Amino acid sequence: MAPSDYQLLDRYAAGDDSAFEELVTRHQKTVYDLAYRMLENHADAADLAQKTFVQVFLHHRSFKRESGFRTWVYQICLNQCRNALRNRFRLAHEDVEGLALAAPQDTFTEVARSELKDRLGQAIRTLPARQREALVLRVYHDHAFAEIGVIMSCSEGTAKANYHHAVDKLRRVLMAGEG
Amino acid sequence: MTCNEIKELTVPYLELDLEPSRVRDVTTHLEGCAGCRAEMEAVRQVLVRVRGMAVPDPGDQFWREFPHRVRRELERLQSTANTLGGPSRYQWFLGRAVTAKWTLSLAASLLLVVGAWSLKGLLYRGMGPPEQSVVQGPNAADLPSLGDAVWEAFWEDDPDTVLVEMATQLDRQTMDRVFADI
Repeated sequence: MAPSDYQLLDRYAAGDDSAFEELVTRHQKTVYDLAYRMLENHADAADLAQKTFVQVFLHHRSFKRESGFRTWVYQICLNQCRNALRNRFRLAHEDVEGLALAAPQDTFTEVARSELKDRLGQAIRTLPARQREALVLRVYHDHAFAEIGVIMSCSEGTAKANYHHAVDKLRRVLMAGEG
Repeated sequence: MTCNEIKELTVPYLELDLEPSRVRDVTTHLEGCAGCRAEMEAVRQVLVRVRGMAVPDPGDQFWREFPHRVRRELERLQSTANTLGGPSRYQWFLGRAVTAKWTLSLAASLLLVVGAWSLKGLLYRGMGPPEQSVVQGPNAADLPSLGDAVWEAFWEDDPDTVLVEMATQLDRQTMDRVFADI
């Protein structure tokens, strides 16, 4: 039976290096996925996923274990995403060069662009951050609303409301386009 | 149920996030209302399409190297922290500030206690026999002797300074007495 996240964390704290790699490998894809869906390019998502895990291991002793390890990692990742989006917004408003820096061009970005060029992708992009977070956590990561509330530091009701508003906006955008 | 009520429950219905009785109510309404059925289908389509949007896989090599990237960055940050001498400069400053705050608080508390005792002593003297009266000024025993030649010379040169010096000594004497009382 595979060890739990808590067990791996304990082993890491006790100096077991293999626990580190196992924890990262176990969660790297979901963290990267969340980062990618929020930031929409590979370079930023990879950088942010790395930062997330660095924060996790730097502060693992302060993790109170009141929530699951995965929930805690998601919280850190989402906070990093918010900071990154704020920085991107600031850069984009400072100068045009900043905008180019904030959204680097690479192969994955190009692939993503082509996928997100449709109306739905555009509509998701224009969702307010909280609605987008709720949508991503619910649809792509299958979190229960209670857990989404913990990750987003809000109540379960607020998480649900954000999600419902997001779906409603997307529906209206699609219907307007198809109508 | 009205169509507006159904509209509010569309997402929870599709998310299976409704009480069984509400699910029955919504289902019953949908069976007889083509408009709400179309609305429900539109929302379902949105969810299906959203779910269908995939993130490009960066590839096996990326995933293999990722834990090592994290480890390298972690070690770099930890070695930087060690070079700075354990805790970060911010933590060091915070620690110093907290220590300084405690020291200042302790000093302020001591001053308050001493001040209170001094006042108490002065008040008692004010209420006591006439020879201890503060209003009438310090008694002869509390004052430095002006018969001293040095004091007299000072008095002639600068009486103000002498008075200030005497007052300072009086204060010290009062303090000594207060501490003796304690």
